[in-house]
Amino acid sequence: MAGRLLALSARSIKARPVPLGAAGAHSNPALDATRAMIGNREIVGYGMNGQPHYYDRSDIPLPAIRWKEATADIKCLREKEKGDWRQLSMEEKKALYRASFKLTYSEFKAPTGEWKQIVGASLMLVSVALWFYMAVRVVTRVPLPDSFSEEKQQAQLRRILDLHVNPITGLSSQWDYEKDDWKK
Amino acid sequence: MFRFPLVRVQRILRKPNVCALRFTSSQQSAESDEEFDNRYEAYFAKDGMDAWAIRKGINDIVGQDLIPEPKIIVAALKACRRVNDFAVAIRFLEAIKNKCGSRVDEIYPYIIQEIRPTLTELGINTPEELGFDKPELAVQNVYEMH
Repeated sequence: MAGRLLALSARSIKARPVPLGAAGAHSNPALDATRAMIGNREIVGYGMNGQPHYYDRSDIPLPAIRWKEATADIKCLREKEKGDWRQLSMEEKKALYRASFKLTYSEFKAPTGEWKQIVGASLMLVSVALWFYMAVRVVTRVPLPDSFSEEKQQAQLRRILDLHVNPITGLSSQWDYEKDDWKK
Repeated sequence: MFRFPLVRVQRILRKPNVCALRFTSSQQSAESDEEFDNRYEAYFAKDGMDAWAIRKGINDIVGQDLIPEPKIIVAALKACRRVNDFAVAIRFLEAIKNKCGSRVDEIYPYIIQEIRPTLTELGINTPEELGFDKPELAVQNVYEMH
């Protein structure tokens, strides 16, 4: 509701120039708020939602306000704009565009390279996590039990073979029990 | 021995085959494509339109899920001429190029070819001729200013 009122008053702002500092200015607080926000820029359209904001959007090409305030040379260009456009030079045409718009389509759609920041930061965090993992493994290391010594492992292997563990397809099938050695 | 003179033939592009240029999804609005085109062309051709209404119309047609027919574009450019706003015309052409999406190489040259008479008549340059197809200015992202 308030937005709609602002939009309607914004349209009337375009028509009536309000003298600054006069008593009439204070009777329209919406106008004061708008002018405080956007300065002297001309309100030219409905824009996206009726609010007098500037934006560069590929889906809504024409914002509600011009980009630049009307200075003397821009006013002079506007007078020239009322004549034949074939008389305008390239620089004047580009200046007219830049007076109404901040960035062209190719500029605001240009790739920002932000993905490199994101991938780089993510990989850095992953590497920090890996460092933490390695630190934990180092710090929490305990000595192996003595059953891991060479003699004890051989004694365990002897016991496995004596028990004929996995005799068909496993370890004992590789042992030759007559010769008491591994099968050749 | 025959000598053939070198003749520069301007490539006349055929209308690209963009199937289903417009989807009518709802059952109620059974507006055909021609009615849609005529409606927008009549909107821009209306006398006494001010700059506000033209901007609204352009935002609307760019918001539709289609690329406007050349006749609508011509009507909108002539409307821009009536209200003496050159920048709006250029912005509209940039928006149309953006609407072409991935098929910009086949659709955009066709559109420019179709509206070229109007462009020369009104003195409107395409964004490429103005140098706006490549980025000129670079500004800092407002979200990254600290």
